[in-house]
Amino acid sequence: MSAVTQPLEARRSVSQTVGNFLRDNPIYVAIVGLVVVTSIVEPKFLTYSNFDNIIRSAGTLIFAALGMTFVIMAGFLDLSIGGIISLVAVVTVTLIDRVGQGPAILIGLTVGIVCGLINSGLILSSGALTQAESLFITFGMSLVYGAVALMYVQGVTQFLTYSESDISIFNAINSGTIGFLSVFTAMAVIAFVILFIIERRTYMGRAVVLTGGNKIAARLAGVPISKSIVMIYAISGLLSAIGAVVLVSRVTLADPTMGTPYMTQAILAVVVGGTALAGGRGSVLWTVVGTFLLVLLNNCLNLLGVSSYVQFMIWGIILITVIWLDTVKQARVRG
Amino acid sequence: MSANTVTANTRIVGAAKSGLAFQKAFLAIILVVLVMAVSQLFPATRNNFFTEANFINVLKSASIFIILAMGETIVLIGGGVDLSIGGMMAFSGVVVILLMNAGVPIPVAIALALLVGLGVGAINALISVYQRAEPFIITLGMGIVLTGAGQQLTNARPVSSKVPAFADIANFKILGPIPLLVVVMIAVVAVTYWVLRNTSFGRNVYAIGGDAEVAKYSGINVRRTKATTYLICGLLAALGGVMLASQLNSASSIAGDSTALYVVCAVVVGGTSVAGGLGGAIKSLIGLLLLGLLTNAFNMLQVDSYVAYLPTALLGVIIVSILWLDSFTRKRRREAV
Amino acid sequence: MVEESATQALLSVRDVSKAFPGVKALDHVSLEVTGGVVHGIVGENGAGKSTLMKILSGVYEKDSGEIVYEGRTIDKITPLESMQMGLAIIYQELNLVNTMSVGENVFLGRFSESGGRRGVHAKARKLLDSIGSKVSTHRMVSELSVSDKQMVEIAKALSYDSKLIIMDEPSSSLTADEMDKLVRIIHDLKSKGIAIIYISHKLDEILGFCDVVTVMRDGRVIDTRPVSEMSRNQMISMMVGRTIENEFPPRPESVGETILEIKNMNTRKLKDVQLSLHKGEILGLVGLVGSGRTELVRALFGADKVAKKSIYLDGKPVEINNPIDAINLGFAMVPEDRKLQGLLLGFPVEQNISLAVLIRLTKYGFVDSSQESVISDREIKALNIKTPSGKTRIRTLSGGNQQKAIIGRWLEMKPRILVLDEPTKGIDVGAKYEIYLLMKKIVEDGGAIILISSELPEVLHMSNRVHTISDGRVNGEFDPAVASADEIMAMAFEFA
Repeated sequence: MSAVTQPLEARRSVSQTVGNFLRDNPIYVAIVGLVVVTSIVEPKFLTYSNFDNIIRSAGTLIFAALGMTFVIMAGFLDLSIGGIISLVAVVTVTLIDRVGQGPAILIGLTVGIVCGLINSGLILSSGALTQAESLFITFGMSLVYGAVALMYVQGVTQFLTYSESDISIFNAINSGTIGFLSVFTAMAVIAFVILFIIERRTYMGRAVVLTGGNKIAARLAGVPISKSIVMIYAISGLLSAIGAVVLVSRVTLADPTMGTPYMTQAILAVVVGGTALAGGRGSVLWTVVGTFLLVLLNNCLNLLGVSSYVQFMIWGIILITVIWLDTVKQARVRG
Repeated sequence: MSANTVTANTRIVGAAKSGLAFQKAFLAIILVVLVMAVSQLFPATRNNFFTEANFINVLKSASIFIILAMGETIVLIGGGVDLSIGGMMAFSGVVVILLMNAGVPIPVAIALALLVGLGVGAINALISVYQRAEPFIITLGMGIVLTGAGQQLTNARPVSSKVPAFADIANFKILGPIPLLVVVMIAVVAVTYWVLRNTSFGRNVYAIGGDAEVAKYSGINVRRTKATTYLICGLLAALGGVMLASQLNSASSIAGDSTALYVVCAVVVGGTSVAGGLGGAIKSLIGLLLLGLLTNAFNMLQVDSYVAYLPTALLGVIIVSILWLDSFTRKRRREAV
Repeated sequence: MVEESATQALLSVRDVSKAFPGVKALDHVSLEVTGGVVHGIVGENGAGKSTLMKILSGVYEKDSGEIVYEGRTIDKITPLESMQMGLAIIYQELNLVNTMSVGENVFLGRFSESGGRRGVHAKARKLLDSIGSKVSTHRMVSELSVSDKQMVEIAKALSYDSKLIIMDEPSSSLTADEMDKLVRIIHDLKSKGIAIIYISHKLDEILGFCDVVTVMRDGRVIDTRPVSEMSRNQMISMMVGRTIENEFPPRPESVGETILEIKNMNTRKLKDVQLSLHKGEILGLVGLVGSGRTELVRALFGADKVAKKSIYLDGKPVEINNPIDAINLGFAMVPEDRKLQGLLLGFPVEQNISLAVLIRLTKYGFVDSSQESVISDREIKALNIKTPSGKTRIRTLSGGNQQKAIIGRWLEMKPRILVLDEPTKGIDVGAKYEIYLLMKKIVEDGGAIILISSELPEVLHMSNRVHTISDGRVNGEFDPAVASADEIMAMAFEFA
């Protein structure tokens, strides 16, 4: 630690700031590069319908990633969102016939919150206060939620059916519009705004990032650590549930394993956006950017005709690279 | 006075440690009881469970996982974790079958597949150990990459082997009804046991997992030892994949990260902690056999309708309980000292 | 100095100095240790003993000076090299792998060279037998008592053919019988020509079986003498005595009624602690490291779960189960280790300062962050915190300024009772004075302070009353204006 305070940092030149930014976030560079390449190679990229497609496919991921942001900012991880999405999807769809669409959706959202509360309950009761321990426990819970989903519908994919005369909420979510925004985009914007307000202006939002900064010091200064932990997992569960509803709306079916890929993608979206995996630094705003980068990547790869299996591989490679770079960055910052 | 406090402290620590063993043994006993109950209660299993054929069945399906578990045990004892073993198993199976189908002689194909295992282990080691990135996520990502690679190479369809002789490697029956696969598994267990117990390397793994600082001060090269654990794990995962491919004489690229978690949890049931420093080959073997028996019993039940996925859920609950217990005991230990 | 016969010194430390940022840990230290001699080293917390030992064992590097061991100059060695040279150190926290067996710990890292499994256990057995220990080599270290663990460490030292064994506070967790055993072993080692450096707070032990004693203070060696020429009082005086200039403001004088009473606090470490605190008072808590002083205040503040404690505020019983309860009742605590327990290093100074008071800036769940910079600027000015701005990352500030920020954090809360645990550790003289003035102002405004400090002058000059705490017991109460430093320290050593 330096014994001498450092002089006030002189205003950096614009190019220096940009240079630093690019160095710290090479994934941005890579993806922007990819976008440029794709635009050249495949002109279909720059069409309205493609942009619409892009926004559409971001639907579920944005919610999952927003929920994951708070968890990561507090220095934890929620690896159970895959299972939660699957479970909420099948529960919601199977209940439509029995209780109607509205109530079914509400029940689905409640399931999501309950899963989040179970997660936080397990973590708090076992005293698992490190990120590593929360990894294992939530990962295990993903298995449980996924298995419950499988059990609930016995492995059978549930299809959304609604007669023409009914107004379908799901249909509205998927293709309805409010003004020029599609419904789910509006939902995403609302969710983002609410979360952003929580993050920036509320006490609990601040508590979350303080917990990630130094749990021990925060606790000794009166920051409610336990309440924060409950909140982050409940929010993650709720948003995953909303994501599930959006997903169901888009593909009009509920498959008991449909949530699985979202776990890694959500983490990726958050970390690519710039939030530190170790906690204490981040924002839902960055996550939105990260989500779009990933969705763009997805879209470009699709347009370029890359096989879905290779895409799967690329996700894995990006995950490794992003975490690796984050580790290097943290090491550099800590000196 | 202070003496009593100290002795009390030691006793608490001791109790916490054996509390760990006790509660885990408790869980193991529950598992055994479950197995017994399940096997007797349902008509599907009552007659079929306790047969020689069934037990050999259990051994056969567990053998692959046991081979994987030996590598994972070594990594866990050293304080790390490797979640890429599922993807590695699938991928190496694909590699060996594709190579053979393309005319490469069996031993060369196998060697190459094993080499891939070493290579992947090296990458895991490089990033997790030398770059100090969180191994849970890095190896998870690696598992995804391997699964994707396997799928890409096979278009997500199972690939049959065009070389019938390959099947003999796993299935050739030695000593009556016992297939070679089981013998290979026993050999792997024996070697792992011996290495962990009697070699410098093995003892160093326990040391770095138990207290890396102390190990470092005693001159043990912590990073190199830890890196080697990942190499071994990758190698054994590849071996497991090759044996699986041989057993079925075909390869499928589908193996999720739940394979890895299953193996990790079975190893933890056996007595290894995810925190490192504890565990052993035989212990892991027992853990896997127990879980193997349980899943076997559950599989038999899938004939009955609604209960079909209950076992998986139950397994998930057991897994989480084990991990929860692991954390909880550590919390108790922290508070006692 | 020590008169020796023709035996050459085994270890020669000449003019060694070592400084850490803001602190001079060792200041031209010289001493000599001869084979077959038990050489005691005493000194207060922070006197430099452990720094010196860590340099000898290769954990730290000296800044200047010379160290000669067995005729060879030591410079920049690793802990392993130090052990291999025959210089062993047994730490208080014991450097063993808890999850491995005794035998393996003795030969950690030398498994094959020692003959594998069989060889390791056989050799360990021989070593343990040679010091009279009956511990089985197959037992896991975590199951052993502290005394047995020490035996293992000694066996380990012997396995490297050590000629010098340093024991750092070995007796704090031993029973009387176990202590006797240790002394027997020490005499045994001595007769084999091995030199022992024995660091301890327990002056009776030093006088009991050491041959020579070195007293250290403030990073310097005050004197080295044969034990026969040293008395307990002399040792204490040397450890404590210093010239006191105008380091401190005049003592606050406005003590009022009792506001806090601790009746009967019991934890693993604390025994029947009773305490009372008055309005306008600075209560000093003097004790050795490990005496329970931090445990006491942490239990008071709700930072640790404690089974039994009864606390009365203004005569009424109160429940404090966590820091939030304590804060709501008007408590504040500046913790001992600011890096681990106080600072959010990656965050701006502003947010570190507003950390505790944030909840008060909250209405209907929303935080008024405009107030934050106002508050932070106020404290920066009041405490003279040197920082480019409130938005600078607190990591870049010096230790003293970081500490001031944490103090500022709690001042904002306008606490009734402020606990300061080593508040001026690692802070330069000028900043210290500022903090002293601040403390005075707080109590003059009606608050009360509990001050824990290893710096005796600080406690003596700032406190209205001093309690000593020794081995979990509050065993003495003094008026520092009349009591002498020696008296007070003697009490601190009572159960040591």
